[in-house]
Amino acid sequence: MPQLIPFYFINQLSFSFLTLLALIYIISKYFLPLFTFQQVIRMYITKLNNK
Amino acid sequence: MASKAAAAAVDFTRIYSSLGLSKETVAALQAFRKRHGDAQRIQTQYASQPTTVDLAHYRSVLKNKAVVDEAEKILRDFKPVTYDVNAQIKAIETFEAKAVVKAKETTEKIDIELKDLQATLANIEDARPFEDLTAEEVGNAHPRIVEAVENMIKKGKWTVPGYKEKFGDLSLM
Repeated sequence: MPQLIPFYFINQLSFSFLTLLALIYIISKYFLPLFTFQQVIRMYITKLNNK
Repeated sequence: MASKAAAAAVDFTRIYSSLGLSKETVAALQAFRKRHGDAQRIQTQYASQPTTVDLAHYRSVLKNKAVVDEAEKILRDFKPVTYDVNAQIKAIETFEAKAVVKAKETTEKIDIELKDLQATLANIEDARPFEDLTAEEVGNAHPRIVEAVENMIKKGKWTVPGYKEKFGDLSLM
Protein backbone atom coordinates (compact mmCIF):
# COMPACT_ATOMS: atom_id res chain seq x y z
CA MET A 1 0.00 0.00 0.00
CA PRO A 2 1.57 3.31 -1.07
CA GLN A 3 -0.19 5.18 1.72
CA LEU A 4 2.01 3.48 4.22
CA ILE A 5 5.29 4.11 2.40
CA PRO A 6 7.04 7.09 4.02
CA PHE A 7 8.07 8.41 0.62
CA TYR A 8 4.46 9.42 -0.09
CA PHE A 9 3.70 10.92 3.30
CA ILE A 10 4.50 14.51 2.33
CA ASN A 11 2.46 14.20 -0.84
CA GLN A 12 -0.54 12.86 1.03
CA LEU A 13 -0.27 15.47 3.74
CA SER A 14 -0.05 18.36 1.31
CA PHE A 15 -2.96 17.13 -0.81
CA SER A 16 -5.16 16.44 2.19
CA PHE A 17 -4.36 19.88 3.54
CA LEU A 18 -5.21 21.51 0.20
CA THR A 19 -8.41 19.50 -0.14
CA LEU A 20 -9.46 20.44 3.36
CA LEU A 21 -8.82 24.12 2.70
CA ALA A 22 -10.78 23.96 -0.55
CA LEU A 23 -13.66 22.19 1.16
CA ILE A 24 -13.77 24.73 4.00
CA TYR A 25 -13.72 27.58 1.52
CA ILE A 26 -16.44 26.15 -0.73
CA ILE A 27 -18.73 25.13 2.11
CA SER A 28 -18.40 28.39 4.03
CA LYS A 29 -18.78 30.45 0.90
CA TYR A 30 -21.58 28.66 -0.92
CA PHE A 31 -23.40 26.27 1.39
CA LEU A 32 -23.40 27.50 4.98
CA PRO A 33 -24.68 31.01 4.15
CA LEU A 34 -27.76 29.35 2.67
CA PHE A 35 -28.65 27.99 6.09
CA THR A 36 -28.33 31.40 7.70
CA PHE A 37 -30.30 32.91 4.82
CA GLN A 38 -33.03 30.36 5.30
CA GLN A 39 -33.18 31.06 9.03
CA VAL A 40 -33.46 34.81 8.44
CA ILE A 41 -36.17 34.33 5.82
CA ARG A 42 -38.04 31.97 8.10
CA MET A 43 -38.01 34.50 10.93
CA TYR A 44 -39.04 37.25 8.51
CA ILE A 45 -41.98 35.30 7.09
CA THR A 46 -43.10 34.30 10.57
CA LYS A 47 -43.04 37.92 11.70
CA LEU A 48 -44.97 38.98 8.56
CA ASN A 49 -47.50 36.22 9.07
CA ASN A 50 -48.08 37.26 12.68
CA LYS A 51 -48.78 40.88 11.71
CA MET B 1 -64.31 70.08 -36.33
CA ALA B 2 -63.54 66.86 -34.57
CA SER B 3 -62.48 68.56 -31.33
CA LYS B 4 -65.78 70.47 -31.12
CA ALA B 5 -67.78 67.28 -31.69
CA ALA B 6 -65.69 65.64 -28.98
CA ALA B 7 -66.29 68.59 -26.64
CA ALA B 8 -70.04 68.25 -27.17
CA ALA B 9 -69.93 64.60 -26.16
CA VAL B 10 -67.87 65.15 -22.98
CA ASP B 11 -69.40 63.64 -19.89
CA PHE B 12 -68.43 66.24 -17.29
CA THR B 13 -69.67 64.42 -14.20
CA ARG B 14 -67.39 61.54 -15.10
CA ILE B 15 -64.47 63.90 -15.59
CA TYR B 16 -65.02 65.50 -12.17
CA SER B 17 -65.34 62.23 -10.34
CA SER B 18 -63.16 59.65 -12.02
CA LEU B 19 -60.06 61.38 -13.36
CA GLY B 20 -58.68 62.48 -10.01
CA LEU B 21 -58.17 66.08 -11.12
CA SER B 22 -56.80 68.70 -8.77
CA LYS B 23 -59.18 71.11 -7.03
CA GLU B 24 -58.04 74.09 -9.13
CA THR B 25 -58.60 72.19 -12.37
CA VAL B 26 -62.11 71.15 -11.34
CA ALA B 27 -62.91 74.72 -10.24
CA ALA B 28 -61.59 76.14 -13.53
CA LEU B 29 -63.57 73.57 -15.49
CA GLN B 30 -66.74 74.36 -13.58
CA ALA B 31 -66.24 78.11 -14.05
CA PHE B 32 -65.71 77.56 -17.77
CA ARG B 33 -68.86 75.45 -18.01
CA LYS B 34 -70.85 78.09 -16.12
CA ARG B 35 -69.59 80.80 -18.45
CA HIS B 36 -70.52 78.73 -21.46
CA GLY B 37 -73.99 77.99 -20.05
CA ASP B 38 -74.61 81.67 -19.27
CA ALA B 39 -73.53 82.73 -22.76
CA GLN B 40 -75.79 80.11 -24.31
CA ARG B 41 -78.74 81.19 -22.16
CA ILE B 42 -78.29 84.87 -23.02
CA GLN B 43 -77.93 84.02 -26.70
CA THR B 44 -81.19 82.04 -26.79
CA GLN B 45 -82.90 84.78 -24.78
CA TYR B 46 -81.95 87.48 -27.27
CA ALA B 47 -82.50 85.28 -30.30
CA SER B 48 -86.13 84.78 -29.26
CA GLN B 49 -86.79 88.55 -29.15
CA PRO B 50 -88.21 90.26 -32.29
CA THR B 51 -85.70 92.05 -34.49
CA THR B 52 -88.10 94.11 -36.60
CA VAL B 53 -90.00 97.30 -35.68
CA ASP B 54 -93.63 97.60 -36.77
CA LEU B 55 -93.48 101.18 -38.06
CA ALA B 56 -96.92 101.04 -39.67
CA HIS B 57 -98.39 100.43 -36.24
CA TYR B 58 -96.67 103.52 -34.82
CA ARG B 59 -97.79 105.56 -37.85
CA SER B 60 -101.38 104.61 -37.23
CA VAL B 61 -101.14 105.27 -33.50
CA LEU B 62 -99.08 108.48 -33.37
CA LYS B 63 -100.28 111.80 -34.69
CA ASN B 64 -96.81 113.17 -35.30
CA LYS B 65 -95.77 111.24 -38.44
CA ALA B 66 -92.50 113.16 -38.74
CA VAL B 67 -91.18 111.45 -35.62
CA VAL B 68 -91.99 108.05 -37.07
CA ASP B 69 -90.35 109.01 -40.38
CA GLU B 70 -87.26 110.18 -38.55
CA ALA B 71 -87.19 107.00 -36.49
CA GLU B 72 -87.52 104.95 -39.65
CA LYS B 73 -84.64 106.86 -41.24
CA ILE B 74 -82.45 106.39 -38.19
CA LEU B 75 -83.37 102.73 -38.11
CA ARG B 76 -82.54 102.27 -41.78
CA ASP B 77 -79.24 104.08 -41.41
CA PHE B 78 -78.28 102.15 -38.33
CA LYS B 79 -75.49 99.74 -38.88
CA PRO B 80 -74.26 97.55 -36.05
CA VAL B 81 -70.68 98.11 -35.06
CA THR B 82 -68.53 95.28 -36.29
CA TYR B 83 -65.86 93.91 -34.04
CA ASP B 84 -62.73 92.22 -35.23
CA VAL B 85 -62.94 88.94 -33.37
CA ASN B 86 -60.08 87.31 -35.27
CA ALA B 87 -57.62 88.09 -32.49
CA GLN B 88 -59.93 86.50 -29.94
CA ILE B 89 -60.53 83.49 -32.18
CA LYS B 90 -56.79 83.13 -32.58
CA ALA B 91 -56.29 83.28 -28.82
CA ILE B 92 -59.03 80.70 -28.38
CA GLU B 93 -57.43 78.45 -30.97
CA THR B 94 -54.02 78.67 -29.34
CA PHE B 95 -55.67 77.95 -26.01
CA GLU B 96 -57.46 74.99 -27.57
CA ALA B 97 -54.22 73.66 -29.05
CA LYS B 98 -52.55 74.02 -25.66
CA ALA B 99 -55.45 72.32 -23.95
CA VAL B 100 -55.35 69.44 -26.43
CA VAL B 101 -51.61 69.01 -25.91
CA LYS B 102 -52.08 69.06 -22.15
CA ALA B 103 -54.94 66.59 -22.39
CA LYS B 104 -52.74 64.27 -24.44
CA GLU B 105 -49.98 64.54 -21.86
CA THR B 106 -52.47 63.77 -19.12
CA THR B 107 -53.80 60.73 -20.98
CA GLU B 108 -50.25 59.46 -21.44
CA LYS B 109 -49.58 59.97 -17.74
CA ILE B 110 -52.80 58.23 -16.82
CA ASP B 111 -51.97 55.36 -19.17
CA ILE B 112 -48.63 54.88 -17.43
CA GLU B 113 -50.29 55.00 -14.02
CA LEU B 114 -52.91 52.55 -15.19
CA LYS B 115 -50.22 50.14 -16.36
CA ASP B 116 -48.53 50.42 -12.96
CA LEU B 117 -51.80 49.79 -11.19
CA GLN B 118 -52.55 46.80 -13.39
CA ALA B 119 -49.11 45.39 -12.65
CA THR B 120 -49.80 45.87 -8.94
CA LEU B 121 -53.19 44.23 -9.32
CA ALA B 122 -51.65 41.26 -11.14
CA ASN B 123 -49.09 41.07 -8.34
CA ILE B 124 -51.84 40.99 -5.75
CA GLU B 125 -53.86 38.43 -7.67
CA ASP B 126 -50.85 36.18 -8.20
CA ALA B 127 -49.75 36.43 -4.57
CA ARG B 128 -49.37 33.06 -2.92
CA PRO B 129 -49.72 32.15 0.73
CA PHE B 130 -46.66 32.28 2.98
CA GLU B 131 -46.48 28.49 3.10
CA ASP B 132 -45.79 28.29 -0.65
CA LEU B 133 -43.00 30.85 -0.71
CA THR B 134 -39.38 29.81 -1.11
CA ALA B 135 -36.46 31.57 0.54
CA GLU B 136 -35.09 32.48 -2.87
CA GLU B 137 -38.32 34.23 -3.88
CA VAL B 138 -38.39 36.25 -0.69
CA GLY B 139 -34.73 37.14 -1.25
CA ASN B 140 -35.53 38.29 -4.79
CA ALA B 141 -38.42 40.36 -3.55
CA HIS B 142 -36.36 41.95 -0.76
CA PRO B 143 -32.71 42.29 -1.79
CA ARG B 144 -32.12 44.08 1.54
CA ILE B 145 -32.45 40.75 3.32
CA VAL B 146 -29.75 39.20 1.13
CA GLU B 147 -27.48 42.15 1.91
CA ALA B 148 -28.19 41.85 5.61
CA VAL B 149 -27.34 38.14 5.55
CA GLU B 150 -24.10 38.84 3.69
CA ASN B 151 -23.19 41.44 6.31
CA MET B 152 -24.02 39.02 9.11
CA ILE B 153 -21.77 36.37 7.61
CA LYS B 154 -18.94 38.83 7.09
CA LYS B 155 -19.15 39.64 10.80
CA GLY B 156 -19.16 35.94 11.65
CA LYS B 157 -22.77 35.78 12.80
CA TRP B 158 -24.10 32.51 11.46
CA THR B 159 -27.22 32.19 13.58
CA VAL B 160 -30.32 34.31 14.04
CA PRO B 161 -31.20 35.27 17.62
CA GLY B 162 -34.51 33.70 18.67
CA TYR B 163 -34.53 31.12 15.89
CA LYS B 164 -33.62 28.16 18.07
CA GLU B 165 -36.34 29.03 20.62
CA LYS B 166 -38.95 29.34 17.93
CA PHE B 167 -38.16 26.48 15.56
CA GLY B 168 -36.07 24.12 17.67
CA ASP B 169 -32.80 22.51 16.78
CA LEU B 170 -31.87 19.17 15.17
CA SER B 171 -28.34 19.02 16.50
CA LEU B 172 -27.66 16.31 19.06
CA MET B 173 -24.84 18.15 20.76
